[in-house]
Amino acid sequence: MPPMDPMRSAHAKLLAGDFLSLAASPSAAPSFSRRGRPVSRAEAAGIVVSYDRRPKLLRFLLDDGSGCIPCVLWLNHHFLPQSPAFSSRENIAAAASAADVHAGKVRLGELVRVRGRVTGFRGVLQITVKDVLVERDPNAETLHWLQCLKLARDCYDLPPPPAPARRA
Amino acid sequence: MASSVIKPGILVSLQELDSSSPLFKEGQSVRATGKLESYSVESGMAVIIDGGATLLIDTQHLRDISFRPGSIYQFIGELHISQDSQAVLEARIGRNVDGIDLNLYHQTIQLRRKFEADLAKTKAA
Repeated sequence: MPPMDPMRSAHAKLLAGDFLSLAASPSAAPSFSRRGRPVSRAEAAGIVVSYDRRPKLLRFLLDDGSGCIPCVLWLNHHFLPQSPAFSSRENIAAAASAADVHAGKVRLGELVRVRGRVTGFRGVLQITVKDVLVERDPNAETLHWLQCLKLARDCYDLPPPPAPARRA
Repeated sequence: MASSVIKPGILVSLQELDSSSPLFKEGQSVRATGKLESYSVESGMAVIIDGGATLLIDTQHLRDISFRPGSIYQFIGELHISQDSQAVLEARIGRNVDGIDLNLYHQTIQLRRKFEADLAKTKAA
């Protein structure tokens, strides 16, 4: 079995242009990769340039100058059948409340940072958002860009690290 | 995979927005940053300045933003070029970015362009 690539479980910090270039594998459970390395979670920062809130979800677009990343934040916790992820009604209520708080932060023109899973919808890559952070410092965006460039050069562009040698 | 309909506002400095620039064209989406030099409540027109260059901004579609001359603002929108080659940015997004380090911002834009050019080369290969 091939070694687990640490990129698979990390939130990859990607510029929109880089994110939108991820390769999608055509399978029933789609997976995404960058230069052959798996990317399942992503972190992005940008300005909210559109949003559409509905009872069950919030859709919005993040523009970082290199592209617009479609984001979706689900607000449907109360509509779902009991999931193994939620052990009780209180957990569902807490998750729904947290999603509602995150959705309230998304406003037109706001600089936000999002983290979540990389997913696809109707042939378009998107982030299924887990959390939203409003950036008050305008330099946070510049710092994010520099981190994206450095991580690409020093980590994401490199082959995965070899698995640790097993002891006999 | 396909892309979204709204075009990203390409990061530009005001000095780059002259008639020789490939970005200087009708309908081009850009993100421009500069110090507010003037603002007219009647017309909704604003002028921002950076590095000696100015840009006229049409703010009539913006809501919930107050304009203070001397503060730094960032706008995303589409360029409209008049017959006498005067550019107006019709803003759909505007925000105050007081405190931004403009030197670092412009240097980072240059680094990003190099990175994005390399990325495009990799994709084309």
